[in-house]
Amino acid sequence: MQYEPSAEDLLAAMAELLEDELMPALPDALTHKCRVAANLARILERQERLGPDAATREREQLRALLGQDGDSGALSARLAQRIREDDDPGFQRQAWDALVAITRDDLAIAKPGHDAWEGI
Amino acid sequence: MTGLRASSAGARRTNVAFAAEGPGRTLSLVATILPTAEIELNPIAAEAGVRSLAEAHGVPVPHVHAVCTDPGFVGGPFFLSDRVDGESVPRRVLRLVHAEGIGERVAGQLGEALGRLHAVDPAEAPDNLMDDPSENPAEVALAGADKMVAGLPLPRPALAFGIRWLERHLPPAPPRRTILHTDARNGNLLVSANGLEAVLDWEGSVRHGDPMQDLAWPALRMWRFKEDGREIGGFAGREPFVAGYEAAGGTFDEDRFRWWKVLGTLRWALGLAGQSAAHLDGRFRSIVMAASGRRVPELEWDLLMLVRPD
Repeated sequence: MQYEPSAEDLLAAMAELLEDELMPALPDALTHKCRVAANLARILERQERLGPDAATREREQLRALLGQDGDSGALSARLAQRIREDDDPGFQRQAWDALVAITRDDLAIAKPGHDAWEGI
Repeated sequence: MTGLRASSAGARRTNVAFAAEGPGRTLSLVATILPTAEIELNPIAAEAGVRSLAEAHGVPVPHVHAVCTDPGFVGGPFFLSDRVDGESVPRRVLRLVHAEGIGERVAGQLGEALGRLHAVDPAEAPDNLMDDPSENPAEVALAGADKMVAGLPLPRPALAFGIRWLERHLPPAPPRRTILHTDARNGNLLVSANGLEAVLDWEGSVRHGDPMQDLAWPALRMWRFKEDGREIGGFAGREPFVAGYEAAGGTFDEDRFRWWKVLGTLRWALGLAGQSAAHLDGRFRSIVMAASGRRVPELEWDLLMLVRPD
Protein backbone atom coordinates (compact mmCIF):
# COMPACT_ATOMS: atom_id res chain seq x y z
CA MET A 1 0.00 0.00 0.00
CA GLN A 2 1.28 3.46 -0.92
CA TYR A 3 0.42 6.53 1.15
CA GLU A 4 1.13 9.54 -1.00
CA PRO A 5 0.93 12.33 0.16
CA SER A 6 2.11 11.15 3.57
CA ALA A 7 0.15 11.73 6.79
CA GLU A 8 2.65 14.46 7.67
CA ASP A 9 2.07 16.22 4.33
CA LEU A 10 -1.71 15.98 4.68
CA LEU A 11 -1.69 17.31 8.24
CA ALA A 12 0.42 20.25 7.08
CA ALA A 13 -2.09 20.89 4.29
CA MET A 14 -4.96 20.79 6.82
CA ALA A 15 -3.14 23.22 9.10
CA GLU A 16 -2.58 25.60 6.17
CA LEU A 17 -6.26 25.41 5.21
CA LEU A 18 -7.35 26.17 8.78
CA GLU A 19 -4.82 28.96 9.34
CA ASP A 20 -4.72 30.72 5.99
CA GLU A 21 -8.15 30.20 4.43
CA LEU A 22 -10.76 29.32 7.05
CA MET A 23 -9.63 31.48 9.96
CA PRO A 24 -9.93 34.84 8.15
CA ALA A 25 -13.36 33.87 6.81
CA LEU A 26 -14.86 32.78 10.15
CA PRO A 27 -16.96 34.87 12.51
CA ASP A 28 -15.13 35.96 15.69
CA ALA A 29 -16.95 33.41 17.82
CA LEU A 30 -15.30 30.53 15.90
CA THR A 31 -11.74 31.76 15.36
CA HIS A 32 -10.46 30.45 18.69
CA LYS A 33 -11.67 26.92 17.94
CA CYS A 34 -10.21 27.15 14.45
CA ARG A 35 -6.85 28.25 15.85
CA VAL A 36 -6.92 25.33 18.30
CA ALA A 37 -7.71 22.89 15.48
CA ALA A 38 -4.90 24.30 13.33
CA ASN A 39 -2.49 23.94 16.23
CA LEU A 40 -3.59 20.32 16.73
CA ALA A 41 -2.90 19.61 13.05
CA ARG A 42 0.60 21.05 13.55
CA ILE A 43 1.09 18.89 16.66
CA LEU A 44 0.08 15.75 14.76
CA GLU A 45 2.34 16.72 11.86
CA ARG A 46 5.29 16.90 14.28
CA GLN A 47 4.14 13.66 15.92
CA GLU A 48 4.31 11.89 12.55
CA ARG A 49 7.85 13.13 12.07
CA LEU A 50 9.27 12.90 15.62
CA GLY A 51 6.95 10.49 17.46
CA PRO A 52 8.50 7.10 16.56
CA ASP A 53 12.04 8.03 17.63
CA ALA A 54 10.73 9.75 20.77
CA ALA A 55 8.75 6.64 21.73
CA THR A 56 11.86 4.46 21.29
CA ARG A 57 13.95 6.83 23.41
CA GLU A 58 11.28 6.92 26.12
CA ARG A 59 11.19 3.14 26.39
CA GLU A 60 14.99 2.94 26.48
CA GLN A 61 15.16 5.57 29.24
CA LEU A 62 12.56 3.75 31.32
CA ARG A 63 14.17 0.34 30.84
CA ALA A 64 17.58 1.66 31.84
CA LEU A 65 16.21 3.47 34.87
CA LEU A 66 14.06 0.62 36.17
CA GLY A 67 16.22 -2.31 35.07
CA GLN A 68 13.23 -4.17 33.67
CA ASP A 69 11.41 -4.61 30.38
CA GLY A 70 7.88 -3.88 29.25
CA ASP A 71 5.92 -1.46 27.12
CA SER A 72 6.04 2.27 27.84
CA GLY A 73 2.68 2.30 29.64
CA ALA A 74 3.64 -0.49 32.05
CA LEU A 75 7.09 1.00 32.62
CA SER A 76 5.58 4.46 33.29
CA ALA A 77 3.20 2.98 35.84
CA ARG A 78 6.11 1.20 37.50
CA LEU A 79 8.15 4.41 37.54
CA ALA A 80 5.29 6.39 39.10
CA GLN A 81 5.10 3.75 41.84
CA ARG A 82 8.90 3.64 42.42
CA ILE A 83 9.02 7.45 42.65
CA ARG A 84 6.55 7.29 45.52
CA GLU A 85 8.29 4.40 47.33
CA ASP A 86 12.03 4.59 46.71
CA ASP A 87 13.83 6.95 49.09
CA ASP A 88 17.27 6.57 47.47
CA PRO A 89 18.28 10.13 46.47
CA GLY A 90 20.38 8.69 43.60
CA PHE A 91 17.31 7.01 42.14
CA GLN A 92 15.22 10.15 42.58
CA ARG A 93 17.84 12.23 40.77
CA GLN A 94 18.00 9.72 37.88
CA ALA A 95 14.21 9.60 37.72
CA TRP A 96 14.08 13.41 37.48
CA ASP A 97 16.71 13.39 34.69
CA ALA A 98 14.77 10.76 32.74
CA LEU A 99 11.45 12.59 33.18
CA VAL A 100 13.04 15.82 31.96
CA ALA A 101 14.40 14.07 28.86
CA ILE A 102 11.04 12.37 28.15
CA THR A 103 9.09 15.59 28.69
CA ARG A 104 11.52 17.45 26.42
CA ASP A 105 10.67 14.99 23.65
CA ASP A 106 6.93 15.41 24.38
CA LEU A 107 7.32 19.17 24.09
CA ALA A 108 9.23 18.98 20.81
CA ILE A 109 5.90 17.64 19.47
CA ALA A 110 3.33 19.45 21.63
CA LYS A 111 4.93 22.88 22.21
CA PRO A 112 8.37 23.52 20.74
CA GLY A 113 10.30 26.08 22.77
CA HIS A 114 8.39 25.55 26.02
CA ASP A 115 11.49 23.88 27.50
CA ALA A 116 13.57 27.07 27.17
CA TRP A 117 12.41 28.06 30.66
CA GLU A 118 14.17 26.30 33.53
CA GLY A 119 12.49 27.52 36.66
CA ILE A 120 11.41 30.23 39.17
CA MET B 1 -31.29 51.08 29.95
CA THR B 2 -29.24 51.84 26.83
CA GLY B 3 -26.11 50.59 25.09
CA LEU B 4 -26.61 46.95 26.06
CA ARG B 5 -23.72 44.72 24.99
CA ALA B 6 -22.21 41.43 26.11
CA SER B 7 -18.75 42.44 27.26
CA SER B 8 -17.42 38.98 27.96
CA ALA B 9 -18.75 35.47 28.22
CA GLY B 10 -16.75 33.19 30.48
CA ALA B 11 -17.31 29.48 30.83
CA ARG B 12 -19.62 29.93 33.77
CA ARG B 13 -21.00 33.45 33.52
CA THR B 14 -21.97 36.27 31.20
CA ASN B 15 -21.10 39.94 31.66
CA VAL B 16 -23.41 42.48 30.06
CA ALA B 17 -22.42 46.15 29.99
CA PHE B 18 -25.09 48.85 29.81
CA ALA B 19 -25.92 52.41 30.82
CA ALA B 20 -28.70 52.92 33.38
CA GLU B 21 -30.32 56.31 32.86
CA GLY B 22 -32.18 57.82 35.77
CA PRO B 23 -33.39 61.26 36.68
CA GLY B 24 -30.35 63.50 36.83
CA ARG B 25 -27.63 60.89 36.26
CA THR B 26 -26.49 57.95 34.18
CA LEU B 27 -24.63 54.97 35.64
CA SER B 28 -22.28 52.87 33.57
CA LEU B 29 -22.86 49.32 34.83
CA VAL B 30 -22.08 45.66 34.28
CA ALA B 31 -24.54 42.87 35.02
CA THR B 32 -22.76 39.63 35.94
CA ILE B 33 -25.21 36.81 35.26
CA LEU B 34 -24.87 33.15 36.19
CA PRO B 35 -26.70 30.92 33.71
CA THR B 36 -28.12 28.71 36.47
CA ALA B 37 -27.73 28.68 40.21
CA GLU B 38 -26.59 25.05 40.08
CA ILE B 39 -23.06 25.58 38.79
CA GLU B 40 -22.05 28.51 40.95
CA LEU B 41 -18.99 28.07 43.16
CA ASN B 42 -20.01 30.66 45.74
CA PRO B 43 -23.64 31.76 45.93
CA ILE B 44 -23.81 35.04 44.04
CA ALA B 45 -24.73 36.99 47.17
CA ALA B 46 -21.59 35.67 48.89
CA GLU B 47 -19.44 36.67 45.90
CA ALA B 48 -20.91 40.17 45.87
CA GLY B 49 -20.59 40.35 49.65
CA VAL B 50 -16.91 39.43 49.78
CA ARG B 51 -16.22 41.91 46.99
CA SER B 52 -17.88 44.70 48.95
CA LEU B 53 -15.99 43.65 52.07
CA ALA B 54 -12.70 43.79 50.14
CA GLU B 55 -13.66 47.21 48.78
CA ALA B 56 -14.31 48.49 52.31
CA HIS B 57 -10.75 47.44 53.19
CA GLY B 58 -9.16 49.24 50.26
CA VAL B 59 -8.93 46.46 47.65
CA PRO B 60 -9.73 47.89 44.20
CA VAL B 61 -12.91 46.20 42.88
CA PRO B 62 -15.84 47.41 40.79
CA HIS B 63 -18.38 48.71 43.31
CA VAL B 64 -21.42 46.40 43.68
CA HIS B 65 -24.77 48.24 43.53
CA ALA B 66 -27.28 45.42 43.80
CA VAL B 67 -27.63 41.65 43.99
CA CYS B 68 -30.58 39.63 42.73
CA THR B 69 -30.82 35.94 43.65
CA ASP B 70 -34.15 35.44 41.84
CA PRO B 71 -33.44 33.71 38.50
CA GLY B 72 -36.85 34.84 37.19
CA PHE B 73 -35.69 38.13 35.65
CA VAL B 74 -32.76 37.27 33.36
CA GLY B 75 -32.58 33.48 33.60
CA GLY B 76 -30.14 33.29 36.50
CA PRO B 77 -29.01 35.13 39.61
CA PHE B 78 -27.02 38.30 38.91
CA PHE B 79 -25.42 41.36 40.42
CA LEU B 80 -24.85 44.88 39.13
CA SER B 81 -21.53 46.65 39.52
CA ASP B 82 -19.75 49.71 38.17
CA ARG B 83 -18.17 49.37 34.76
CA VAL B 84 -14.49 50.14 35.20
CA ASP B 85 -12.42 51.00 32.12
CA GLY B 86 -9.29 49.00 31.41
CA GLU B 87 -7.88 45.89 29.81
CA SER B 88 -8.32 42.39 31.23
CA VAL B 89 -7.30 40.16 28.29
CA PRO B 90 -3.83 38.98 29.38
CA ARG B 91 -1.78 39.67 26.25
CA ARG B 92 -3.39 43.09 25.82
CA VAL B 93 -2.78 43.85 29.48
CA LEU B 94 0.90 42.98 29.04
CA ARG B 95 1.21 45.09 25.87
CA LEU B 96 -0.29 48.05 27.69
CA VAL B 97 1.76 47.57 30.85
CA HIS B 98 5.08 47.30 29.03
CA ALA B 99 4.29 50.14 26.61
CA GLU B 100 3.62 52.33 29.66
CA GLY B 101 6.55 50.96 31.65
CA ILE B 102 4.36 50.19 34.68
CA GLY B 103 5.06 46.47 35.20
CA GLU B 104 6.61 46.96 38.64
CA ARG B 105 3.79 49.27 39.69
CA VAL B 106 1.11 46.74 38.72
CA ALA B 107 2.95 43.88 40.47
CA GLY B 108 3.28 46.07 43.58
CA GLN B 109 -0.39 47.06 43.47
CA LEU B 110 -1.44 43.42 43.17
CA GLY B 111 0.69 42.53 46.21
CA GLU B 112 -0.84 45.44 48.09
CA ALA B 113 -4.39 44.42 47.13
CA LEU B 114 -3.79 40.87 48.39
CA GLY B 115 -2.15 42.21 51.55
CA ARG B 116 -5.23 44.27 52.30
CA LEU B 117 -7.56 41.36 51.62
CA HIS B 118 -5.55 39.08 53.90
CA ALA B 119 -5.68 41.67 56.69
CA VAL B 120 -9.49 41.36 56.87
CA ASP B 121 -10.86 39.31 59.78
CA PRO B 122 -12.41 36.15 58.23
CA ALA B 123 -15.27 36.49 60.72
CA GLU B 124 -16.42 39.50 58.68
CA ALA B 125 -16.87 37.40 55.51
CA PRO B 126 -20.42 36.64 54.32
CA ASP B 127 -21.95 33.66 56.17
CA ASN B 128 -22.44 31.65 53.00
CA LEU B 129 -18.91 32.12 51.62
CA MET B 130 -17.18 28.81 50.88
CA ASP B 131 -15.21 27.58 53.85
CA ASP B 132 -12.76 24.84 54.67
CA PRO B 133 -12.76 23.85 58.33
CA SER B 134 -9.29 22.24 58.24
CA GLU B 135 -6.43 23.87 60.15
CA ASN B 136 -3.94 23.17 57.38
CA PRO B 137 -5.29 23.91 53.88
CA ALA B 138 -2.06 22.55 52.31
CA GLU B 139 -2.76 19.09 53.71
CA VAL B 140 -6.26 19.05 52.23
CA ALA B 141 -5.04 20.36 48.86
CA LEU B 142 -2.34 17.69 48.71
CA ALA B 143 -4.73 14.86 49.60
CA GLY B 144 -7.09 16.01 46.81
CA ALA B 145 -4.31 16.23 44.22
CA ASP B 146 -2.90 12.86 45.25
CA LYS B 147 -6.27 11.22 44.76
CA MET B 148 -6.65 12.78 41.33
CA VAL B 149 -3.18 11.70 40.19
CA ALA B 150 -3.99 8.15 41.31
CA GLY B 151 -7.22 8.29 39.28
CA LEU B 152 -5.67 9.35 35.96
CA PRO B 153 -6.35 7.00 33.05
CA LEU B 154 -2.66 7.00 32.01
CA PRO B 155 0.23 6.86 34.49
CA ARG B 156 1.99 10.23 34.70
CA PRO B 157 5.26 9.74 36.61
CA ALA B 158 6.14 13.46 36.37
CA LEU B 159 3.01 14.23 38.41
CA ALA B 160 3.91 11.45 40.86
CA PHE B 161 7.29 13.19 41.25
CA GLY B 162 5.44 16.40 42.07
CA ILE B 163 3.25 14.67 44.67
CA ARG B 164 6.31 13.17 46.35
CA TRP B 165 7.95 16.60 46.55
CA LEU B 166 4.77 18.12 48.00
CA GLU B 167 4.53 15.37 50.63
CA ARG B 168 8.11 15.84 51.73
CA HIS B 169 7.85 19.62 51.87
CA LEU B 170 4.35 19.90 53.33
CA PRO B 171 4.25 23.09 55.42
CA PRO B 172 2.67 23.08 58.89
CA ALA B 173 -0.63 24.89 59.45
CA PRO B 174 -0.20 28.58 58.60
CA PRO B 175 0.11 31.02 61.52
CA ARG B 176 -3.01 32.78 60.27
CA ARG B 177 -5.71 31.63 57.89
CA THR B 178 -7.21 34.43 55.83
CA ILE B 179 -9.90 35.19 53.28
CA LEU B 180 -8.54 34.24 49.84
CA HIS B 181 -9.47 35.41 46.37
CA THR B 182 -7.91 32.17 44.91
CA ASP B 183 -7.68 33.40 41.29
CA ALA B 184 -6.05 36.86 41.34
CA ARG B 185 -3.89 36.30 38.26
CA ASN B 186 -3.30 38.11 34.99
CA GLY B 187 -6.64 37.60 33.23
CA ASN B 188 -8.73 38.50 36.27
CA LEU B 189 -7.16 41.93 36.70
CA LEU B 190 -8.37 45.14 35.13
CA VAL B 191 -5.43 47.35 34.22
CA SER B 192 -5.20 50.81 32.67
CA ALA B 193 -2.31 53.15 31.88
CA ASN B 194 -2.59 54.25 35.54
CA GLY B 195 -2.00 50.74 36.84
CA LEU B 196 -4.23 48.16 38.55
CA GLU B 197 -7.84 49.34 38.44
CA ALA B 198 -9.69 46.33 39.83
CA VAL B 199 -9.41 42.70 40.91
CA LEU B 200 -12.24 40.77 39.21
CA ASP B 201 -13.92 37.36 39.43
CA TRP B 202 -14.38 36.64 43.12
CA GLU B 203 -16.50 33.57 42.50
CA GLY B 204 -13.91 31.18 43.97
CA SER B 205 -13.06 33.11 47.10
CA VAL B 206 -12.93 31.27 50.43
CA ARG B 207 -13.19 32.28 54.07
CA HIS B 208 -10.15 30.44 55.46
CA GLY B 209 -7.04 29.72 53.43
CA ASP B 210 -3.27 29.82 53.53
CA PRO B 211 -2.47 33.37 52.36
CA MET B 212 0.58 32.09 50.44
CA GLN B 213 -1.79 30.18 48.14
CA ASP B 214 -3.13 33.55 46.93
CA LEU B 215 0.38 34.93 46.35
CA ALA B 216 1.68 31.84 44.58
CA TRP B 217 -1.15 31.49 42.06
CA PRO B 218 -0.48 34.69 40.06
CA ALA B 219 3.24 33.75 40.04
CA LEU B 220 2.79 30.59 37.98
CA ARG B 221 4.41 30.47 34.58
CA MET B 222 1.12 29.93 32.75
CA TRP B 223 -0.09 33.41 33.71
CA ARG B 224 2.98 35.13 32.25
CA PHE B 225 1.91 34.75 28.64
CA LYS B 226 5.42 34.35 27.20
CA GLU B 227 6.95 36.96 29.56
CA ASP B 228 8.66 34.08 31.35
CA GLY B 229 11.32 36.22 33.02
CA ARG B 230 8.72 38.24 34.92
CA GLU B 231 7.42 35.94 37.62
CA ILE B 232 4.34 37.90 38.62
CA GLY B 233 1.85 37.67 35.76
CA GLY B 234 4.44 38.76 33.18
CA PHE B 235 4.42 42.19 34.86
CA ALA B 236 7.60 42.15 36.95
CA GLY B 237 9.74 40.03 39.24
CA ARG B 238 8.83 39.03 42.77
CA GLU B 239 10.39 41.98 44.65
CA PRO B 240 7.80 44.74 44.02
CA PHE B 241 4.98 42.23 44.53
CA VAL B 242 6.29 41.12 47.92
CA ALA B 243 7.12 44.72 48.89
CA GLY B 244 3.52 45.76 48.11
CA TYR B 245 2.20 42.81 50.11
CA GLU B 246 4.32 43.60 53.13
CA ALA B 247 3.55 47.32 52.95
CA ALA B 248 -0.13 46.39 53.30
CA GLY B 249 0.61 44.34 56.43
CA GLY B 250 1.15 40.88 54.92
CA THR B 251 3.89 38.47 55.94
CA PHE B 252 5.68 36.73 53.07
CA ASP B 253 6.82 33.13 53.60
CA GLU B 254 9.11 32.00 50.80
CA ASP B 255 9.00 28.23 51.48
CA ARG B 256 5.24 28.21 51.73
CA PHE B 257 5.00 30.37 48.60
CA ARG B 258 7.10 27.84 46.67
CA TRP B 259 5.01 24.94 47.98
CA TRP B 260 1.81 26.54 46.68
CA LYS B 261 3.46 27.27 43.33
CA VAL B 262 4.23 23.58 42.95
CA LEU B 263 0.72 22.61 44.09
CA GLY B 264 -0.88 25.13 41.71
CA THR B 265 1.15 23.87 38.75
CA LEU B 266 0.23 20.27 39.54
CA ARG B 267 -3.44 21.21 39.91
CA TRP B 268 -3.42 22.93 36.54
CA ALA B 269 -1.94 19.79 34.92
CA LEU B 270 -4.77 17.81 36.52
CA GLY B 271 -7.32 20.36 35.32
CA LEU B 272 -6.11 19.98 31.73
CA ALA B 273 -6.13 16.19 32.00
CA GLY B 274 -9.68 16.46 33.36
CA GLN B 275 -10.81 18.56 30.39
CA SER B 276 -9.43 16.00 27.99
CA ALA B 277 -11.21 13.23 29.93
CA ALA B 278 -14.51 15.17 29.75
CA HIS B 279 -14.13 15.29 25.98
CA LEU B 280 -13.24 11.61 25.65
CA ASP B 281 -16.06 10.30 27.83
CA GLY B 282 -18.62 12.56 26.12
CA ARG B 283 -19.47 14.87 29.02
CA PHE B 284 -18.21 17.89 27.07
CA ARG B 285 -17.26 17.23 23.46
CA SER B 286 -15.11 20.12 22.25
CA ILE B 287 -11.94 20.55 20.22
CA VAL B 288 -10.70 22.96 22.88
CA MET B 289 -11.20 20.43 25.68
CA ALA B 290 -9.57 17.70 23.58
CA ALA B 291 -6.56 19.93 22.92
CA SER B 292 -6.08 20.46 26.66
CA GLY B 293 -4.85 16.88 26.97
CA ARG B 294 -1.92 17.67 24.72
CA ARG B 295 -1.03 20.64 26.94
CA VAL B 296 -0.33 18.47 30.00
CA PRO B 297 3.40 18.09 29.10
CA GLU B 298 3.78 21.89 29.36
CA LEU B 299 2.68 21.74 32.99
CA GLU B 300 4.76 18.62 33.62
CA TRP B 301 7.80 20.55 32.42
CA ASP B 302 6.99 23.55 34.60
CA LEU B 303 6.45 21.22 37.57
CA LEU B 304 9.75 19.37 37.05
CA MET B 305 11.61 22.68 36.84
CA LEU B 306 10.09 23.81 40.16
CA VAL B 307 11.07 20.60 42.00
CA ARG B 308 14.57 20.10 40.58
CA PRO B 309 16.55 17.92 43.04
CA ASP B 310 19.49 19.65 44.78
